[in-house]
Amino acid sequence: MSTEHEILVQVKDMCKNFGVTIALNHVDIDIRRGQILGLIGENGSGKSTVSSIIAGIQPPTSGSMTYKGHPWSPATALEAARGGIGMIVQEAGTIGSISVAENIFLGNYEPFKTGPIINKKKMVAEARKALDKIGVEDIDPSLPAGLYDMQDRKLIEIAKVMYHEPELIIVDETTTALSQKGRDLLYKLIHDGAQKGKAVVFISHDLEELMEHCDKMTVLRDGVIIDSFPREQFDPEDIKRKMVGREISGQYYRVDEDGYSSQVVLKADCITTMSSLLCFSMELHKGEILGIGGISSCGMHELGRALYGLEDVVDGKVVLMKDEKVITGAKSAFDNGMGYVSKNRDTESLELNASIEANIQSTGYKKNRLFGPFISPAKEKSYAARQIETLAIKCINGRQKVKAMSGGNKQKVVFGKWIADDADILILDCPTRGVDVGVKASMYQLIYKMKQQGKSIVMISEEMPELIGMSDRILIMKDGRINGEFFRKDGYQQHELIECMI
Amino acid sequence: MENTKENKLPQGTRKLGVMDHIRIIRDKPMFPLIFPLTVLILIIAGFGIATEGGFFRKTVLMGVFNQALIIATVSTAMTFVFAAGNMDISVGSAMAFSAVAGVYAYNATGSVFFMVVVCLVIGVVLMSFNGFIHAMFGVRTIIISIVMMQLYSAIVSLILGPDTVSIDYGLCRQLENAGFRNISFILFFVFCMILFHSTSVGRKLKFVGGNARCAQQTGIQYKNTVLISFAVAGLGVGLSAVFSIIRTSTVGTTLGAGMGMDVMLAVVLGGMSIFGGSRSNAYAGLLGAVTVSALNKGLLMCDVSPMLIQGVRGIVFLILVFLNSERPATLPSAQD
Repeated sequence: MSTEHEILVQVKDMCKNFGVTIALNHVDIDIRRGQILGLIGENGSGKSTVSSIIAGIQPPTSGSMTYKGHPWSPATALEAARGGIGMIVQEAGTIGSISVAENIFLGNYEPFKTGPIINKKKMVAEARKALDKIGVEDIDPSLPAGLYDMQDRKLIEIAKVMYHEPELIIVDETTTALSQKGRDLLYKLIHDGAQKGKAVVFISHDLEELMEHCDKMTVLRDGVIIDSFPREQFDPEDIKRKMVGREISGQYYRVDEDGYSSQVVLKADCITTMSSLLCFSMELHKGEILGIGGISSCGMHELGRALYGLEDVVDGKVVLMKDEKVITGAKSAFDNGMGYVSKNRDTESLELNASIEANIQSTGYKKNRLFGPFISPAKEKSYAARQIETLAIKCINGRQKVKAMSGGNKQKVVFGKWIADDADILILDCPTRGVDVGVKASMYQLIYKMKQQGKSIVMISEEMPELIGMSDRILIMKDGRINGEFFRKDGYQQHELIECMI
Repeated sequence: MENTKENKLPQGTRKLGVMDHIRIIRDKPMFPLIFPLTVLILIIAGFGIATEGGFFRKTVLMGVFNQALIIATVSTAMTFVFAAGNMDISVGSAMAFSAVAGVYAYNATGSVFFMVVVCLVIGVVLMSFNGFIHAMFGVRTIIISIVMMQLYSAIVSLILGPDTVSIDYGLCRQLENAGFRNISFILFFVFCMILFHSTSVGRKLKFVGGNARCAQQTGIQYKNTVLISFAVAGLGVGLSAVFSIIRTSTVGTTLGAGMGMDVMLAVVLGGMSIFGGSRSNAYAGLLGAVTVSALNKGLLMCDVSPMLIQGVRGIVFLILVFLNSERPATLPSAQD
């Protein structure tokens, strides 16, 4: 028992600053063999930072680490990986144009080399072993990684990390990108690892997931360790409170039974897109929150893009009922009072290098005119300031760059620009993705408030509780078509919805 | 509700790296103005000392001013193109092309007005053509401009052969001294400033340069926005062609050589990121142009060989691009 819980990695008094932003503030963590340690905290709390330092991705500003009792300061991620630290990261990922096998052994081609020539056959065979080791059979290592979808590519990354039989396995928010099957596989891997005396660090937002799988949980907030709990003391309410540093009411979602108007505002009339949708029809009503759910490849994300004119609609049309206007592209959608929040917040919904103000103001070039084509700086200033204030966006001032903000705050900026725009129809694709509980609650309140103001909202989500909690009506999609329609007034049954998806 | 600003400084060890400091300074709101001015003053002072005051002679300063004016006209207009994340190095050849056309127009009609109009129209047409090919076929602007540079200067060579064309020298001096040149530059500069900073044009260009996909989702059409930027660049090219004619009264095949590089150098010396985006502005071109001209002239006066000058300029350019451009954030999660 004593050897099983021997300390593998010790982090002492570690600080990390990014410019003026403090990511870690004097953090101490012990990571023990045979234990699954959960790190939980809001976005920007420092949980990813500490693990990336252990894995050699970036150096600490100050502080020290030991690994297996010796001082540890890996210069690169490769050095850390060779030393036995395996990290499965949030995003990053695989390179689509090279084979699965080449991805698995990326930067590590030496064993397969004879002179300058790489023995592909040997590499593919070894990759097969790596995939078998994690129990994945239906991926062919000789094919280009680009042929597989995101979930399978995540599995390839896992195989890559596990191939080296790491002593410490770090799982950083990976599960959000995985299907249920992938998750089960990953859970099995970390439990097996812990059983064999390896150490596991499991980072997630998802409290339930961590409660189920971890032996110990450490809560981080603003770069400081707030508390640690052994498994026996897991209490979701207490942990949530410590994550956000204040009381959150248990009431997360809307509780009303308000209906919506029968007036149709947006209609998809038998639309067909290049890949997912085939003669898809739906209607959105005034004052309605329409939830759209399904497994991630069911075509719902593409539907959102098609409604906003971002996806080529090859047949059929998306029509705004107000004046029978056909949406032909993002410009016509925007000009006619629609707004769109992308699933990929950082790459599509924000200009990261621009300020908070500039991002919010981007929807108001026409509204903030003084006369003719000239923009009034004063109007523009208050356009942004109003949103920063009402949404309680955490910042030093509006000129701060969005890049340095946490996920939840970034999402508030995205919401801010559409609220400022006063868009009548909002297409929200995974609006709370990568957002922590505290901000999630305020997002839900915002969405509900918009509904009450008579706005119409399409909410595409991969999270069942959120769909059930917020929607007036839910469409469950499967293989590019509607596989079920459910109404709030009838009450939702989770198992019915799930059955419809699969 | 607690609303205290969470701006705590950490106690104890807090070591910021050199790059951290650079980033902090660079993000200050006044940086785009203070940085280029400082560089300019340092360069002028440096050359003043190196030439033992020779740099401050009136003829030298006039030379710097005359060269700066031409570069500034093109650079100011080109900030629109750079803001959207595009580049174009064919401006020199395009300028030569419109200057040749302008000279022919004057010699055929004897009308200064007609000459100016021809220069402007040809400038706008040529640059818009570059922008149009980019918008239409999605080829990178830098590639298009390399091809167009060859094409435009080939046409100029074809028209001129080994000769040069000239217009009446007296007329040129008259135009230069009558303030026509300075007034038209000021008007053009003010026009660019207003267009960039007081209408949606500049904001859209910066937005497109920062994140084109996000801009698209906010109803900004990439093609139209970029076409406008190239049209403005064309106006600058046309006007600088007029200034070039006035300056030398002779147009030869070497006119505009190296202009593409001068403009890029001017824009970064003016404090803008060469990759465009949020920190773009319309005055970078003017400030940078003065600095580039001072640098060119000063190095020449210090008997630095023209070959070496090219090298020095190249190194200055690289350093500035390195210091002054956005690179991916350090957090792995932020790189997608």
